[in-house]
Amino acid sequence: MVSPAVPLLVLGLIDASFSGFRAYAGRDARIRKRRAVVRSAGRGLGVGAVLLLAPVLTACGILAVAGDSGRAYAVLAAGAVGYLLPIAVYAAVVALSFAGYFLLPFRVSTLAVVMGLGPLTLVRPLVLVAACAGAVLNGGGWAGLAVGVVAAAAVLTVEPVVHRRWYRFALSPGGRGVVR
Amino acid sequence: MSPLEISDLITAVDPDSGRRLPVRRADVTRRLLENGDRRAARIVADLPVDGDGVLDPDAVDALLIGVHTELQRLSEELRIGDRMLELLRPLFAAIRATGTHPGPYRLVDVGCGLGYVVRRLAATGALGPDVELVGVDLDGGLVGEAERLARDEELDCRFVRGNAFDLAEPATVYVSTGVLHHFSAPALADFFRAKAASPAAAFCHFDIAANGLAPIGAWVFHRARMRHPLGRHDGVASARRAHPDETLLRAATVPGMNPLIFEPRGRSNPFCTTLRPVIGVRPELEAPFRRELGRAARRLAGPGWESGGGPGSDRGSGNGSGWGIGRGRESGSGWGSGRGRESGGGSDGGLVVDGSGGAVGGEGAW
Repeated sequence: MVSPAVPLLVLGLIDASFSGFRAYAGRDARIRKRRAVVRSAGRGLGVGAVLLLAPVLTACGILAVAGDSGRAYAVLAAGAVGYLLPIAVYAAVVALSFAGYFLLPFRVSTLAVVMGLGPLTLVRPLVLVAACAGAVLNGGGWAGLAVGVVAAAAVLTVEPVVHRRWYRFALSPGGRGVVR
Repeated sequence: MSPLEISDLITAVDPDSGRRLPVRRADVTRRLLENGDRRAARIVADLPVDGDGVLDPDAVDALLIGVHTELQRLSEELRIGDRMLELLRPLFAAIRATGTHPGPYRLVDVGCGLGYVVRRLAATGALGPDVELVGVDLDGGLVGEAERLARDEELDCRFVRGNAFDLAEPATVYVSTGVLHHFSAPALADFFRAKAASPAAAFCHFDIAANGLAPIGAWVFHRARMRHPLGRHDGVASARRAHPDETLLRAATVPGMNPLIFEPRGRSNPFCTTLRPVIGVRPELEAPFRRELGRAARRLAGPGWESGGGPGSDRGSGNGSGWGIGRGRESGSGWGSGRGRESGGGSDGGLVVDGSGGAVGGEGAW
Protein backbone atom coordinates (compact mmCIF):
# COMPACT_ATOMS: atom_id res chain seq x y z
CA MET A 1 0.00 0.00 0.00
CA VAL A 2 1.30 3.42 -0.95
CA SER A 3 2.16 5.64 1.99
CA PRO A 4 -0.21 8.63 2.23
CA ALA A 5 2.93 10.74 2.31
CA VAL A 6 3.45 10.07 -1.40
CA PRO A 7 0.26 11.72 -2.71
CA LEU A 8 0.78 14.51 -0.19
CA LEU A 9 4.25 15.17 -1.54
CA VAL A 10 3.02 15.02 -5.13
CA LEU A 11 0.22 17.49 -4.37
CA GLY A 12 2.67 19.68 -2.49
CA LEU A 13 5.01 19.83 -5.47
CA ILE A 14 2.16 20.58 -7.89
CA ASP A 15 1.01 23.34 -5.57
CA ALA A 16 4.58 24.66 -5.47
CA SER A 17 4.60 24.92 -9.27
CA PHE A 18 1.41 26.94 -9.19
CA SER A 19 2.87 29.08 -6.43
CA GLY A 20 5.82 29.81 -8.67
CA PHE A 21 3.45 30.88 -11.41
CA ARG A 22 1.49 33.11 -9.03
CA ALA A 23 4.72 34.72 -7.85
CA TYR A 24 5.47 35.64 -11.45
CA ALA A 25 1.97 36.49 -12.66
CA GLY A 26 1.28 40.18 -12.77
CA ARG A 27 4.95 41.09 -13.19
CA ASP A 28 5.28 40.64 -16.92
CA ALA A 29 3.10 42.61 -19.31
CA ARG A 30 4.35 40.99 -22.47
CA ILE A 31 1.85 39.15 -24.63
CA ARG A 32 3.96 36.14 -25.52
CA LYS A 33 5.38 34.70 -22.33
CA ARG A 34 4.88 30.96 -22.34
CA ARG A 35 8.55 30.32 -21.68
CA ALA A 36 8.57 32.71 -18.71
CA VAL A 37 5.47 31.01 -17.32
CA VAL A 38 7.09 27.59 -17.54
CA ARG A 39 10.26 28.96 -15.96
CA SER A 40 8.30 30.43 -13.05
CA ALA A 41 6.54 27.11 -12.46
CA GLY A 42 9.94 25.39 -12.46
CA ARG A 43 11.25 27.87 -9.93
CA GLY A 44 8.25 27.18 -7.73
CA LEU A 45 8.84 23.46 -8.09
CA GLY A 46 12.48 23.81 -7.12
CA VAL A 47 11.79 25.97 -4.10
CA GLY A 48 8.91 23.70 -3.11
CA ALA A 49 11.11 20.61 -3.34
CA VAL A 50 13.54 22.19 -0.90
CA LEU A 51 10.93 23.55 1.49
CA LEU A 52 8.97 20.31 1.56
CA LEU A 53 12.04 18.64 3.02
CA ALA A 54 11.02 20.38 6.26
CA PRO A 55 7.93 18.25 6.96
CA VAL A 56 9.76 15.15 5.74
CA LEU A 57 12.60 15.81 8.17
CA THR A 58 10.11 16.61 10.93
CA ALA A 59 8.40 13.27 10.41
CA CYS A 60 11.77 11.49 10.31
CA GLY A 61 12.79 13.23 13.55
CA ILE A 62 9.58 12.15 15.26
CA LEU A 63 10.12 8.59 14.16
CA ALA A 64 13.76 8.70 15.28
CA VAL A 65 12.99 9.82 18.83
CA ALA A 66 9.90 7.65 19.26
CA GLY A 67 10.27 4.70 21.59
CA ASP A 68 7.98 2.57 19.43
CA SER A 69 8.74 3.64 15.91
CA GLY A 70 6.15 1.26 14.45
CA ARG A 71 3.38 2.81 16.48
CA ALA A 72 4.69 6.33 15.75
CA TYR A 73 4.63 5.54 12.05
CA ALA A 74 1.04 4.30 12.28
CA VAL A 75 0.02 7.50 14.07
CA LEU A 76 1.74 9.65 11.46
CA ALA A 77 0.19 7.63 8.65
CA ALA A 78 -3.26 8.10 10.16
CA GLY A 79 -2.58 11.83 10.46
CA ALA A 80 -1.41 11.95 6.86
CA VAL A 81 -4.64 10.35 5.66
CA GLY A 82 -6.67 12.91 7.63
CA TYR A 83 -4.46 15.65 6.23
CA LEU A 84 -4.87 14.37 2.69
CA LEU A 85 -8.66 14.33 2.63
CA PRO A 86 -9.41 18.12 2.58
CA ILE A 87 -6.44 18.71 0.30
CA ALA A 88 -7.59 16.05 -2.14
CA VAL A 89 -11.06 17.60 -2.27
CA TYR A 90 -9.52 21.02 -2.84
CA ALA A 91 -7.22 19.65 -5.55
CA ALA A 92 -10.17 18.01 -7.29
CA VAL A 93 -12.11 21.31 -7.35
CA VAL A 94 -9.04 23.14 -8.67
CA ALA A 95 -8.56 20.51 -11.37
CA LEU A 96 -12.21 20.80 -12.33
CA SER A 97 -11.92 24.60 -12.51
CA PHE A 98 -8.84 24.35 -14.68
CA ALA A 99 -10.54 21.89 -17.00
CA GLY A 100 -13.48 24.27 -17.29
CA TYR A 101 -11.20 27.23 -17.86
CA PHE A 102 -9.16 25.64 -20.63
CA LEU A 103 -11.77 23.46 -22.29
CA LEU A 104 -14.98 25.48 -22.22
CA PRO A 105 -15.82 28.45 -24.46
CA PHE A 106 -14.39 31.71 -23.10
CA ARG A 107 -17.68 33.01 -21.79
CA VAL A 108 -18.35 29.92 -19.71
CA SER A 109 -14.70 29.71 -18.75
CA THR A 110 -15.18 33.01 -16.94
CA LEU A 111 -17.48 31.10 -14.64
CA ALA A 112 -14.61 28.76 -13.81
CA VAL A 113 -12.51 31.77 -12.89
CA VAL A 114 -15.16 33.67 -10.97
CA MET A 115 -16.51 30.68 -9.06
CA GLY A 116 -13.34 28.60 -8.99
CA LEU A 117 -9.82 29.79 -9.55
CA GLY A 118 -10.09 33.23 -7.93
CA PRO A 119 -11.76 32.20 -4.67
CA LEU A 120 -9.74 28.97 -4.53
CA THR A 121 -6.52 30.97 -4.36
CA LEU A 122 -7.85 32.89 -1.38
CA VAL A 123 -8.97 29.83 0.57
CA ARG A 124 -5.67 27.95 0.37
CA PRO A 125 -4.69 28.81 3.97
CA LEU A 126 -8.11 27.70 5.18
CA VAL A 127 -7.75 24.40 3.36
CA LEU A 128 -4.44 23.83 5.14
CA VAL A 129 -6.05 24.63 8.47
CA ALA A 130 -8.72 22.07 7.64
CA ALA A 131 -6.00 19.60 6.69
CA CYS A 132 -4.28 20.08 10.06
CA ALA A 133 -7.61 19.54 11.81
CA GLY A 134 -8.12 16.44 9.67
CA ALA A 135 -4.74 15.09 10.75
CA VAL A 136 -5.65 15.42 14.41
CA LEU A 137 -9.20 14.12 14.02
CA ASN A 138 -8.02 11.07 12.11
CA GLY A 139 -5.75 9.99 14.93
CA GLY A 140 -2.55 11.76 14.00
CA GLY A 141 -2.29 13.37 17.41
CA TRP A 142 0.26 16.04 18.22
CA ALA A 143 2.87 14.39 16.02
CA GLY A 144 0.58 14.50 13.00
CA LEU A 145 -0.35 18.08 13.79
CA ALA A 146 3.31 19.10 14.07
CA VAL A 147 4.18 17.60 10.69
CA GLY A 148 1.02 19.11 9.18
CA VAL A 149 1.77 22.60 10.46
CA VAL A 150 5.33 22.45 9.15
CA ALA A 151 4.07 21.20 5.78
CA ALA A 152 1.46 23.97 5.63
CA ALA A 153 4.08 26.60 6.44
CA ALA A 154 6.36 25.18 3.75
CA VAL A 155 3.63 25.21 1.12
CA LEU A 156 2.55 28.75 1.95
CA THR A 157 6.16 29.98 1.90
CA VAL A 158 6.90 28.96 -1.69
CA GLU A 159 5.13 31.88 -3.37
CA PRO A 160 6.67 34.68 -1.29
CA VAL A 161 10.13 33.10 -1.59
CA VAL A 162 9.92 32.82 -5.38
CA HIS A 163 8.49 36.32 -5.61
CA ARG A 164 11.23 37.84 -3.49
CA ARG A 165 14.00 35.91 -5.17
CA TRP A 166 13.06 36.44 -8.82
CA TYR A 167 10.16 38.82 -9.29
CA ARG A 168 10.37 41.55 -6.70
CA PHE A 169 11.91 44.21 -8.87
CA ALA A 170 10.91 47.83 -9.19
CA LEU A 171 8.92 48.64 -12.29
CA SER A 172 10.08 52.17 -12.82
CA PRO A 173 10.26 54.25 -15.97
CA GLY A 174 13.96 54.70 -15.44
CA GLY A 175 14.88 51.16 -14.52
CA ARG A 176 12.27 48.62 -15.42
CA GLY A 177 12.71 45.08 -14.38
CA VAL A 178 12.81 42.58 -17.17
CA VAL A 179 11.30 39.22 -16.43
CA ARG A 180 13.39 36.25 -17.47
CA MET B 1 -20.63 59.54 -1.70
CA SER B 2 -19.17 57.97 -4.82
CA PRO B 3 -15.90 56.17 -4.10
CA LEU B 4 -12.72 57.75 -5.37
CA GLU B 5 -9.89 55.91 -7.04
CA ILE B 6 -6.42 56.74 -5.83
CA SER B 7 -4.91 56.39 -9.28
CA ASP B 8 -7.17 59.15 -10.53
CA LEU B 9 -5.85 61.52 -7.91
CA ILE B 10 -2.10 60.97 -7.79
CA THR B 11 -1.30 62.10 -11.31
CA ALA B 12 -2.33 65.21 -13.15
CA VAL B 13 -1.78 66.31 -16.71
CA ASP B 14 -2.55 69.60 -18.37
CA PRO B 15 -5.03 68.51 -21.02
CA ASP B 16 -3.99 71.23 -23.43
CA SER B 17 -0.23 70.92 -23.29
CA GLY B 18 0.01 67.36 -22.00
CA ARG B 19 2.46 68.67 -19.41
CA ARG B 20 2.62 66.83 -16.12
CA LEU B 21 1.32 68.86 -13.21
CA PRO B 22 2.59 68.60 -9.64
CA VAL B 23 0.28 66.87 -7.19
CA ARG B 24 0.59 67.59 -3.48
CA ARG B 25 0.23 64.50 -1.36
CA ALA B 26 -1.59 66.43 1.37
CA ASP B 27 -4.23 67.56 -1.13
CA VAL B 28 -4.88 63.98 -2.18
CA THR B 29 -5.10 62.62 1.35
CA ARG B 30 -7.39 65.46 2.38
CA ARG B 31 -9.66 64.74 -0.57
CA LEU B 32 -9.80 61.08 0.35
CA LEU B 33 -10.47 61.79 4.01
CA GLU B 34 -13.25 64.21 3.08
CA ASN B 35 -14.72 61.34 1.09
CA GLY B 36 -14.54 59.13 4.17
CA ASP B 37 -11.86 56.81 2.82
CA ARG B 38 -9.19 56.51 5.51
CA ARG B 39 -7.66 53.41 4.01
CA ALA B 40 -7.00 55.14 0.71
CA ALA B 41 -5.58 58.14 2.54
CA ARG B 42 -3.15 55.84 4.37
CA ILE B 43 -2.03 54.28 1.08
CA VAL B 44 -1.33 57.71 -0.39
CA ALA B 45 0.41 58.85 2.80
CA ASP B 46 3.05 56.16 2.16
CA LEU B 47 3.94 57.51 -1.28
CA PRO B 48 7.22 59.43 -1.53
CA VAL B 49 7.26 63.23 -1.87
CA ASP B 50 9.83 65.93 -2.41
CA GLY B 51 10.63 68.75 0.00
CA ASP B 52 7.49 70.65 -1.00
CA GLY B 53 5.22 67.69 -0.36
CA VAL B 54 4.74 67.04 -4.08
CA LEU B 55 4.39 63.38 -5.02
CA ASP B 56 7.50 61.98 -6.69
CA PRO B 57 6.42 61.62 -10.35
CA ASP B 58 8.88 58.79 -11.06
CA ALA B 59 7.64 56.82 -8.07
CA VAL B 60 4.04 57.41 -9.11
CA ASP B 61 4.78 56.29 -12.67
CA ALA B 62 6.51 53.16 -11.41
CA LEU B 63 3.61 52.42 -9.13
CA LEU B 64 1.03 52.85 -11.87
CA ILE B 65 3.02 50.72 -14.30
CA GLY B 66 3.25 48.03 -11.64
CA VAL B 67 -0.46 48.15 -10.88
CA HIS B 68 -1.32 48.13 -14.60
CA THR B 69 0.91 45.12 -15.10
CA GLU B 70 -0.89 43.27 -12.33
CA LEU B 71 -4.17 44.38 -13.80
CA GLN B 72 -3.23 42.96 -17.19
CA ARG B 73 -3.09 39.58 -15.53
CA LEU B 74 -6.78 39.97 -14.66
CA SER B 75 -7.54 40.94 -18.25
CA GLU B 76 -5.74 37.83 -19.43
CA GLU B 77 -7.48 35.58 -16.95
CA LEU B 78 -10.90 37.00 -17.76
CA ARG B 79 -10.13 36.78 -21.50
CA ILE B 80 -10.89 40.37 -22.26
CA GLY B 81 -9.06 40.02 -25.56
CA ASP B 82 -11.41 37.25 -26.68
CA ARG B 83 -14.44 39.25 -25.59
CA MET B 84 -13.21 42.24 -27.55
CA LEU B 85 -12.53 40.13 -30.62
CA GLU B 86 -15.95 38.53 -30.49
CA LEU B 87 -17.35 41.95 -31.38
CA LEU B 88 -14.55 43.58 -33.32
CA ARG B 89 -14.28 40.85 -35.94
CA PRO B 90 -17.94 41.15 -37.01
CA LEU B 91 -17.78 44.91 -36.66
CA PHE B 92 -14.89 45.26 -39.07
CA ALA B 93 -16.46 42.66 -41.34
CA ALA B 94 -19.61 44.80 -41.44
CA ILE B 95 -17.58 47.95 -42.12
CA ARG B 96 -15.76 46.25 -44.97
CA ALA B 97 -19.00 44.84 -46.37
CA THR B 98 -20.88 48.14 -46.43
CA GLY B 99 -18.05 50.01 -48.10
CA THR B 100 -19.10 53.29 -46.53
CA HIS B 101 -15.72 53.56 -44.83
CA PRO B 102 -13.01 52.65 -47.32
CA GLY B 103 -9.91 51.05 -45.86
CA PRO B 104 -7.34 50.98 -44.54
CA TYR B 105 -8.92 51.18 -41.11
CA ARG B 106 -7.75 52.40 -37.76
CA LEU B 107 -8.67 51.08 -34.33
CA VAL B 108 -7.95 53.49 -31.49
CA ASP B 109 -7.90 52.31 -27.88
CA VAL B 110 -8.89 55.28 -25.76
CA GLY B 111 -7.16 55.44 -22.38
CA CYS B 112 -5.12 52.40 -23.35
CA GLY B 113 -2.87 52.27 -20.29
CA LEU B 114 -0.22 49.63 -21.05
CA GLY B 115 -2.04 48.85 -24.28
CA TYR B 116 -2.84 45.23 -23.55
CA VAL B 117 -5.76 45.08 -25.98
CA VAL B 118 -3.87 46.79 -28.79
CA ARG B 119 -0.75 44.67 -28.28
CA ARG B 120 -2.76 41.48 -28.11
CA LEU B 121 -4.62 42.34 -31.28
CA ALA B 122 -1.28 43.08 -32.91
CA ALA B 123 0.24 39.82 -31.66
CA THR B 124 -2.64 37.75 -33.00
CA GLY B 125 -3.23 39.74 -36.17
CA ALA B 126 -6.86 38.86 -35.67
CA LEU B 127 -8.33 41.97 -37.28
CA GLY B 128 -6.35 41.72 -40.46
CA PRO B 129 -3.48 43.68 -41.98
CA ASP B 130 -5.72 46.53 -43.13
CA VAL B 131 -6.45 47.63 -39.55
CA GLU B 132 -3.93 49.95 -37.95
CA LEU B 133 -3.78 49.56 -34.18
CA VAL B 134 -3.24 52.66 -32.06
CA GLY B 135 -3.33 53.14 -28.30
CA VAL B 136 -3.81 56.60 -26.84
CA ASP B 137 -3.40 57.74 -23.27
CA LEU B 138 -2.63 61.00 -21.55
CA ASP B 139 -0.26 59.32 -19.12
CA GLY B 140 3.22 59.53 -20.59
CA GLY B 141 4.63 56.89 -18.24
CA LEU B 142 2.10 54.28 -19.29
CA VAL B 143 2.36 55.13 -22.98
CA GLY B 144 6.15 54.87 -22.79
CA GLU B 145 5.92 51.45 -21.19
CA ALA B 146 3.31 50.31 -23.72
CA GLU B 147 5.60 51.40 -26.54
CA ARG B 148 8.57 49.62 -24.95
CA LEU B 149 6.57 46.40 -24.57
CA ALA B 150 5.40 46.58 -28.18
CA ARG B 151 8.96 47.14 -29.42
CA ASP B 152 10.23 44.32 -27.22
CA GLU B 153 7.92 41.88 -29.00
CA GLU B 154 8.14 43.58 -32.40
CA LEU B 155 4.41 44.17 -32.53
CA ASP B 156 2.88 46.16 -35.33
CA CYS B 157 1.06 48.82 -33.33
CA ARG B 158 1.80 52.24 -31.92
CA PHE B 159 1.04 54.33 -28.89
CA VAL B 160 0.45 58.03 -28.62
CA ARG B 161 0.42 60.25 -25.58
CA GLY B 162 -2.44 62.66 -25.82
CA ASN B 163 -6.13 63.10 -26.30
CA ALA B 164 -7.73 60.42 -28.46
CA PHE B 165 -9.87 63.03 -30.17
CA ASP B 166 -6.92 65.20 -31.14
CA LEU B 167 -5.28 62.55 -33.33
CA ALA B 168 -4.24 63.79 -36.73
CA GLU B 169 -5.84 60.75 -38.37
CA PRO B 170 -9.34 59.82 -37.25
CA ALA B 171 -10.29 56.39 -35.96
CA THR B 172 -12.56 53.96 -37.76
CA VAL B 173 -13.47 52.30 -34.48
CA TYR B 174 -12.87 53.56 -30.96
CA VAL B 175 -12.54 51.03 -28.17
CA SER B 176 -11.72 51.15 -24.48
CA THR B 177 -11.66 48.87 -21.48
CA GLY B 178 -12.54 50.00 -18.00
CA VAL B 179 -12.59 53.69 -18.79
CA LEU B 180 -16.29 54.56 -18.71
CA HIS B 181 -16.76 54.36 -14.96
CA HIS B 182 -14.30 57.21 -14.60
CA PHE B 183 -16.87 59.55 -16.13
CA SER B 184 -19.94 61.04 -14.53
CA ALA B 185 -23.18 60.48 -16.43
CA PRO B 186 -23.10 63.97 -18.05
CA ALA B 187 -19.45 63.50 -19.02
CA LEU B 188 -20.32 60.14 -20.54
CA ALA B 189 -22.75 61.82 -22.90
CA ASP B 190 -20.02 64.28 -23.96
CA PHE B 191 -17.68 61.35 -24.49
CA PHE B 192 -20.11 59.57 -26.80
CA ARG B 193 -21.09 62.77 -28.60
CA ALA B 194 -17.45 63.34 -29.45
CA LYS B 195 -17.34 59.89 -31.03
CA ALA B 196 -20.48 60.57 -33.03
CA ALA B 197 -19.08 63.89 -34.20
CA SER B 198 -15.94 62.20 -35.50
CA PRO B 199 -15.81 60.29 -38.78
CA ALA B 200 -15.66 57.01 -36.83
CA ALA B 201 -17.88 54.18 -37.99
CA ALA B 202 -18.39 52.72 -34.54
CA PHE B 203 -17.28 52.55 -30.94
CA CYS B 204 -17.11 49.66 -28.53
CA HIS B 205 -16.38 50.50 -24.90
CA PHE B 206 -16.11 47.74 -22.34
CA ASP B 207 -16.67 48.48 -18.70
CA ILE B 208 -17.47 46.64 -15.52
CA ALA B 209 -20.91 45.06 -15.54
CA ALA B 210 -22.77 46.88 -12.79
CA ASN B 211 -24.49 44.28 -10.68
CA GLY B 212 -24.59 43.25 -7.07
CA LEU B 213 -21.81 40.74 -7.59
CA ALA B 214 -19.32 43.20 -9.05
CA PRO B 215 -17.95 44.69 -5.81
CA ILE B 216 -17.69 41.25 -4.19
CA GLY B 217 -16.03 39.77 -7.25
CA ALA B 218 -13.70 42.74 -7.46
CA TRP B 219 -12.68 42.28 -3.85
CA VAL B 220 -12.00 38.56 -4.32
CA PHE B 221 -9.99 38.98 -7.49
CA HIS B 222 -8.00 42.01 -6.52
CA ARG B 223 -7.24 40.39 -3.20
CA ALA B 224 -6.21 37.13 -4.86
CA ARG B 225 -4.34 38.53 -7.84
CA MET B 226 -2.93 41.95 -6.99
CA ARG B 227 -0.21 42.75 -4.53
CA HIS B 228 -0.18 46.50 -4.15
CA PRO B 229 -2.84 47.92 -1.84
CA LEU B 230 -3.54 50.68 -4.35
CA GLY B 231 -4.60 48.14 -6.95
CA ARG B 232 -6.73 46.30 -4.43
CA HIS B 233 -8.40 49.49 -3.27
CA ASP B 234 -9.07 50.94 -6.69
CA GLY B 235 -10.31 47.66 -8.10
CA VAL B 236 -13.17 47.56 -5.64
CA ALA B 237 -13.81 51.29 -6.04
CA SER B 238 -14.08 50.78 -9.81
CA ALA B 239 -16.73 48.12 -9.38
CA ARG B 240 -18.71 50.33 -7.01
CA ARG B 241 -18.58 53.19 -9.51
CA ALA B 242 -19.62 51.14 -12.53
CA HIS B 243 -22.50 52.57 -14.54
CA PRO B 244 -25.67 50.55 -14.94
CA ASP B 245 -26.64 49.43 -18.43
CA GLU B 246 -29.40 52.03 -18.60
CA THR B 247 -27.05 54.92 -17.87
CA LEU B 248 -24.60 53.78 -20.53
CA LEU B 249 -27.28 53.30 -23.15
CA ARG B 250 -28.84 56.65 -22.37
CA ALA B 251 -25.48 58.41 -22.62
CA ALA B 252 -24.66 56.60 -25.85
CA THR B 253 -27.90 57.71 -27.45
CA VAL B 254 -26.38 60.43 -29.58
CA PRO B 255 -27.27 61.65 -33.06
CA GLY B 256 -25.68 59.67 -35.83
CA MET B 257 -25.00 56.50 -33.84
CA ASN B 258 -27.26 53.60 -32.96
CA PRO B 259 -26.56 52.66 -29.33
CA LEU B 260 -26.42 49.03 -28.30
CA ILE B 261 -25.36 47.15 -25.24
CA PHE B 262 -24.00 43.63 -25.38
CA GLU B 263 -24.92 41.17 -22.64
CA PRO B 264 -26.90 43.56 -20.48
CA ARG B 265 -28.38 42.57 -17.16
CA GLY B 266 -31.05 39.97 -17.79
CA ARG B 267 -29.43 38.67 -20.95
CA SER B 268 -26.27 37.38 -19.38
CA ASN B 269 -25.11 35.32 -16.48
CA PRO B 270 -23.41 37.69 -14.02
CA PHE B 271 -20.86 34.97 -13.25
CA CYS B 272 -19.91 34.81 -16.93
CA THR B 273 -19.99 38.49 -17.77
CA THR B 274 -17.64 40.61 -15.72
CA LEU B 275 -17.26 43.33 -18.32
CA ARG B 276 -19.67 44.17 -21.11
CA PRO B 277 -19.54 46.81 -23.80
CA VAL B 278 -21.72 49.67 -24.87
CA ILE B 279 -21.54 49.88 -28.64
CA GLY B 280 -22.39 52.62 -31.09
CA VAL B 281 -22.66 51.99 -34.81
CA ARG B 282 -23.61 54.21 -37.72
CA PRO B 283 -27.23 53.40 -38.64
CA GLU B 284 -26.29 51.77 -41.94
CA LEU B 285 -23.92 49.42 -40.09
CA GLU B 286 -26.31 47.99 -37.55
CA ALA B 287 -28.00 45.42 -39.77
CA PRO B 288 -24.75 44.05 -41.27
CA PHE B 289 -23.17 44.06 -37.83
CA ARG B 290 -26.02 41.95 -36.43
CA ARG B 291 -25.75 39.66 -39.42
CA GLU B 292 -22.03 39.18 -38.92
CA LEU B 293 -22.54 38.52 -35.22
CA GLY B 294 -24.84 35.62 -36.03
CA ARG B 295 -26.42 33.97 -33.03
CA ALA B 296 -24.51 36.24 -30.68
CA ALA B 297 -26.66 39.12 -31.92
CA ARG B 298 -29.37 37.95 -29.55
CA ARG B 299 -27.21 39.28 -26.75
CA LEU B 300 -27.50 42.81 -28.10
CA ALA B 301 -30.00 45.24 -26.66
CA GLY B 302 -30.96 48.74 -27.60
CA PRO B 303 -32.89 51.56 -25.96
CA GLY B 304 -36.15 50.38 -24.49
CA TRP B 305 -34.98 46.88 -23.70
CA GLU B 306 -34.95 47.48 -19.97
CA SER B 307 -38.57 48.58 -19.92
CA GLY B 308 -39.61 45.30 -21.45
CA GLY B 309 -40.15 46.70 -24.90
CA GLY B 310 -40.77 44.39 -27.77
CA PRO B 311 -38.36 43.52 -30.53
CA GLY B 312 -38.69 46.97 -31.99
CA SER B 313 -37.27 48.48 -28.84
CA ASP B 314 -34.24 46.36 -29.28
CA ARG B 315 -33.13 47.80 -32.58
CA GLY B 316 -31.32 50.88 -31.48
CA SER B 317 -33.89 53.35 -32.70
CA GLY B 318 -32.06 56.00 -30.77
CA ASN B 319 -35.19 57.79 -29.62
CA GLY B 320 -34.14 57.66 -26.01
CA SER B 321 -37.50 56.46 -24.80
CA GLY B 322 -38.03 53.88 -22.14
CA TRP B 323 -35.40 55.08 -19.70
CA GLY B 324 -35.85 55.87 -16.08
CA ILE B 325 -34.08 53.01 -14.39
CA GLY B 326 -30.58 54.46 -14.26
CA ARG B 327 -29.55 55.42 -10.78
CA GLY B 328 -27.49 58.42 -11.76
CA ARG B 329 -24.09 59.39 -10.43
CA GLU B 330 -22.34 62.25 -8.87
CA SER B 331 -21.72 64.98 -11.34
CA GLY B 332 -18.83 66.31 -9.34
CA SER B 333 -17.17 69.63 -9.71
CA GLY B 334 -13.78 68.53 -10.88
CA TRP B 335 -10.99 66.90 -8.98
CA GLY B 336 -8.52 69.65 -9.37
CA SER B 337 -6.24 67.37 -11.24
CA GLY B 338 -6.69 69.15 -14.48
CA ARG B 339 -7.56 65.95 -16.25
CA GLY B 340 -11.23 66.51 -16.63
CA ARG B 341 -12.27 63.26 -15.06
CA GLU B 342 -15.52 62.59 -13.30
CA SER B 343 -16.51 66.17 -13.72
CA GLY B 344 -18.07 66.43 -17.09
CA GLY B 345 -14.95 68.08 -18.28
CA GLY B 346 -13.45 69.20 -15.01
CA SER B 347 -11.33 72.26 -14.87
CA ASP B 348 -10.56 72.29 -18.54
CA GLY B 349 -14.11 71.93 -19.65
CA GLY B 350 -12.99 69.67 -22.42
CA LEU B 351 -13.18 65.99 -22.93
CA VAL B 352 -10.08 64.25 -21.81
CA VAL B 353 -9.54 60.58 -21.58
CA ASP B 354 -6.68 59.17 -19.63
CA GLY B 355 -6.28 55.56 -18.83
CA SER B 356 -3.97 55.94 -15.91
CA GLY B 357 -7.06 55.57 -13.81
CA GLY B 358 -7.36 52.53 -15.91
CA ALA B 359 -4.64 51.22 -13.66
CA VAL B 360 -7.58 49.91 -11.88
CA GLY B 361 -10.29 50.80 -14.19
CA GLY B 362 -8.56 50.27 -17.46
CA GLU B 363 -7.62 47.07 -19.12
CA GLY B 364 -10.22 44.91 -17.61
CA ALA B 365 -10.67 45.90 -14.03
CA TRP B 366 -13.51 44.39 -12.19
